[in-house]
Amino acid sequence: MEVISGHKGNTRQILSLGLHSAAIIAYQLALMQLISIVQWHHFAYMIISVAMLGFGASGTLLALAREKLIRSSSWLVPMLMTISGFFMIISFEITRLEFFRFDVYLLFVDRSQFLVLAANYLIYFMPFFSGALAIGILFIKHTRQIGTYYFSNLLGSGVGGLFFLLLFGNIMPQHVPAVIGLLSVSAGLISLVRRKAPLHMAIVLLAIISSVLLMRTQEQISVSQYKSLARSMNLPDAEIIYRQPSIHGLIEVVSSPALRFAPALSLNFTGDVPVKKNVFVNADYFGVIPKFDAKTDAHILDHTTQATPWVMQDRKRVLMLNAREGAPLAHAFVYNPERVDAVISNSGFVEMMQQEFAKESGNLFLQKELEIYHIEARNFLASKPPQGYDIIVLPQQGTFGGTAGINALQESYDMTLESFELMWDHLDQDGVITVTTWIDYPSRVSLKLLATLVQTAQKKGVADPGEHIAALRSWGNVTFVLKKTPISREEIKNIRSFATSKFFDPLLLPDLQQEERQRFNMVGDQSFFEYVDQIMAGDEEMIRDYGFVIRPATDDKPYFSQFLRLSQLRHLNEIFGGDQLPFLELGYLIVVITLVQSTALALLFIMLPLLRLRKSQKGKAGTLLYFGALGIGYMFVEIILIQRFVLYFGHPVFSIAAVISTMLIASGLGSLTSGKLPATAKTPAIFGLIVTLFLIGYMLLLTPVIQGTIASPTALKILISLLMIGIPSFFKGMMFPLGIRYLSDYDVSQVPWAWGINGSVSVISTSLAMLIAVEAGFMVVMGVAVVCYAIAFLTFSFHKLLFQKTLNNKP
Amino acid sequence: MKKQLIILLMFPLLLVLSTDVHGDDQERARNSMVRQQIQGRGIRHQATLDAMRNIPRHLYVPFPQRRNAYEDRPLPIGYGQTISQPYIVAYMTEIVDPNPGDKMLEIGTGSGYQAAVLAEIIEEVYTIEIVRPLGEQAKRMLDAQYDNVFVKIADGYHGWSEHAPFDAIVVTAAAEYIPPPLVEQLKEGGRMIIPVGSPFQIQQLMLVEKGKDGEISTRSLMPVRFVPFEREK
Repeated sequence: MEVISGHKGNTRQILSLGLHSAAIIAYQLALMQLISIVQWHHFAYMIISVAMLGFGASGTLLALAREKLIRSSSWLVPMLMTISGFFMIISFEITRLEFFRFDVYLLFVDRSQFLVLAANYLIYFMPFFSGALAIGILFIKHTRQIGTYYFSNLLGSGVGGLFFLLLFGNIMPQHVPAVIGLLSVSAGLISLVRRKAPLHMAIVLLAIISSVLLMRTQEQISVSQYKSLARSMNLPDAEIIYRQPSIHGLIEVVSSPALRFAPALSLNFTGDVPVKKNVFVNADYFGVIPKFDAKTDAHILDHTTQATPWVMQDRKRVLMLNAREGAPLAHAFVYNPERVDAVISNSGFVEMMQQEFAKESGNLFLQKELEIYHIEARNFLASKPPQGYDIIVLPQQGTFGGTAGINALQESYDMTLESFELMWDHLDQDGVITVTTWIDYPSRVSLKLLATLVQTAQKKGVADPGEHIAALRSWGNVTFVLKKTPISREEIKNIRSFATSKFFDPLLLPDLQQEERQRFNMVGDQSFFEYVDQIMAGDEEMIRDYGFVIRPATDDKPYFSQFLRLSQLRHLNEIFGGDQLPFLELGYLIVVITLVQSTALALLFIMLPLLRLRKSQKGKAGTLLYFGALGIGYMFVEIILIQRFVLYFGHPVFSIAAVISTMLIASGLGSLTSGKLPATAKTPAIFGLIVTLFLIGYMLLLTPVIQGTIASPTALKILISLLMIGIPSFFKGMMFPLGIRYLSDYDVSQVPWAWGINGSVSVISTSLAMLIAVEAGFMVVMGVAVVCYAIAFLTFSFHKLLFQKTLNNKP
Repeated sequence: MKKQLIILLMFPLLLVLSTDVHGDDQERARNSMVRQQIQGRGIRHQATLDAMRNIPRHLYVPFPQRRNAYEDRPLPIGYGQTISQPYIVAYMTEIVDPNPGDKMLEIGTGSGYQAAVLAEIIEEVYTIEIVRPLGEQAKRMLDAQYDNVFVKIADGYHGWSEHAPFDAIVVTAAAEYIPPPLVEQLKEGGRMIIPVGSPFQIQQLMLVEKGKDGEISTRSLMPVRFVPFEREK
């Protein structure tokens, strides 16, 4: 009973490994989601790097104390699983204590926040480190059966991803770590041994008590004071009147008599600004609970520039894309439309509007003219034949005060050039696309929007976009209108008359006079108008040289809200000062910082064992190249596939679940199969070549296949995605265990080193892939993945050179 | 070896603590703030400069932030709010052109610092704060120093009609809309200044002017701290 051995013992270990692996991946996803709630989603990259750092550090410890750890493995592995589970339960709660509460915004104004951040890193590191150490010990102890163990690890991870989705859709986010932690504790109990059992059981008891306490006491999450939810809760009589977890995030509704809705309201409006309940998703402002009143033909948005397309002429067939703001939807109904199609991917929000808030919203979401589609806007546009809309309304862009940078790395396929071309195809002859943005300084969003509209018109054969584009500017907003046919004299007259009545100024009109631009709203920096005119004139040079990225987003670089050029950092620093830079585009800079920081840590955890082991081992170049390339290649492909399949499935959550689960399960099956193959140098080389060729094929065919079959039946799409994701993943899954077996045959001490390298490079891969995607596009990320697998192939093709000193007797 | 390790570990903490401002240094820091950050950027309104030299800004920020009180940046004061960068306070004050007999309304008392600057110059300052704990704290502070500042804890949307009209309105916390009651409570020929931008962000200021005929116009003002943003040629 002291040491688990034989078939039965292995079965228990393999089962507990699978369970524990499921808990680790689910915990990582849960933590990313929780951090998105208390902070912002870009902080999730740091969580990924902390997780990977845990894996890398465990590799270091394995390399340094391999024999000792293996000797104690029978009791240590289950104990580590339980400890990891315990940390999963308590870590997040510890970081919410006042002393450890970290705030990303304060990082740039309060130096002591760096210490708090470091403490947070350490707290989040613990569950991953202890968990990964348990997995690593099993791997190095069972190198002969690595295929089976790796299969269990990957299968468990795949299932863990799905388990997370199930949990988040159904229980309160703050309770999720407790459930996941208990999963890991159970994994420890499955392979429990008699030795050190009292200590083990004491930790189990502690974990159970902690999770029960947490579930009973934590009714809500305390979020950053700078999140819109927290700020709304500071208002008089503010209360959360609705709270519901969903796979799209935590939906909350706040009521306060001080919450009003009237974005950039006209200054001659003398009525009362309506009080509205606000909706938040993951503590970020999502929209308001709109009110539809069939008896009135007035709406507060009629006093904003958003009314521009509606005053031009009648619009009867309406498409609202990403209509998460219910207000524009209610606004559209004021004009008695015959049909309104609304694309809202957040089904939880719609459900809430159709049930709990149906009466309050005047049954807006139950109107017979309204058809709601629960998919992403781009998926809707691509999968429908042309619908002949009179108007396509996009949601308001940017944020008040221009903090669009917070969403810099959020891919938005609905805002790419390709998407606008599809919108154009869906328009009726006199139809318009309209989009409103907050005015930002320096100008970014408005200029990029205009460049996108101009290029869309040009691509659709319009010789003079100036005849097709109108724009009105208020003190805070600009609304653009792109019309399929030239804007008529009657429409121009209507726009002018509306502008004067509301104290707005025309920014663009076919017969615009310069002096009209600043009658009511003057600007200090006149260059904005020059840039607008240059974009209208098709000045490519201006778009290229501007201090921010204002070139339209494309499917290859679908980051509409990303404006920062790394090459311009010095120039921007001179203009705005270093302390302001982070706030120009926080999201992107956090990723850059994460990359720098994680690279340093990864190097440390690779270099550390290298220095320690330099005398005892030789021929490590092959190990470094092979396992490093696999680590980067695997993560890069995963990120590309997630991005690409968002378009296919029409929803990021489904895309992530489909890609990660299929990849991990297929890789697990590959790993299992690899056990039947000989562990010679030839086998990893062959599979390295196969994967390389597959990925080259993907570079050429992935996008056309996805675009060509996007409108196919769901069953066919699932089959296609299973094949496209599964087949290369199956081969990729073979490569890690084959490499480990090859190493273990001749120099088993290099196995933990390989495990450490693989984990360490994964630390940098996510942020590195994002950075390359933003700067160079997805095709280049895929290109790097191809190079990585080619390196893996070449490493074993030249194994005699790279492994010769150590593995001189290898065939 | 152990000692070295402890010193190494304590270093970041010492770095954080060593920057605190003490005693007479505060007055020196205040004068330096006015000279370098405010006059140095072109503010010439003498009453504003005098007021900012007189007011102990460090008393208007939370204790942990006192060492940063005279730095050239906004500071967090809790509840997701900030005390504006000194230059922005000076610039906003200069723009509304305060005169001794004026009556002004401030929306968003925050720490109370802007109200204190105005109170040093004009006759009456009415200030409204929506976040109760901040309002109470600022009221305590301002009541102790001034008898011409009136603090109300309420929703600034409604303004303070009992004391309207105002010569100028200073809105320190930007909103996505300008409340119609505020426009109404502004005297004809009056000025309203509003920062547009998030707490820590580059703030662009907007001046709302009410003409004699009641026509409203706005002017985006570029703080002189920032040179015009131009693309690289």
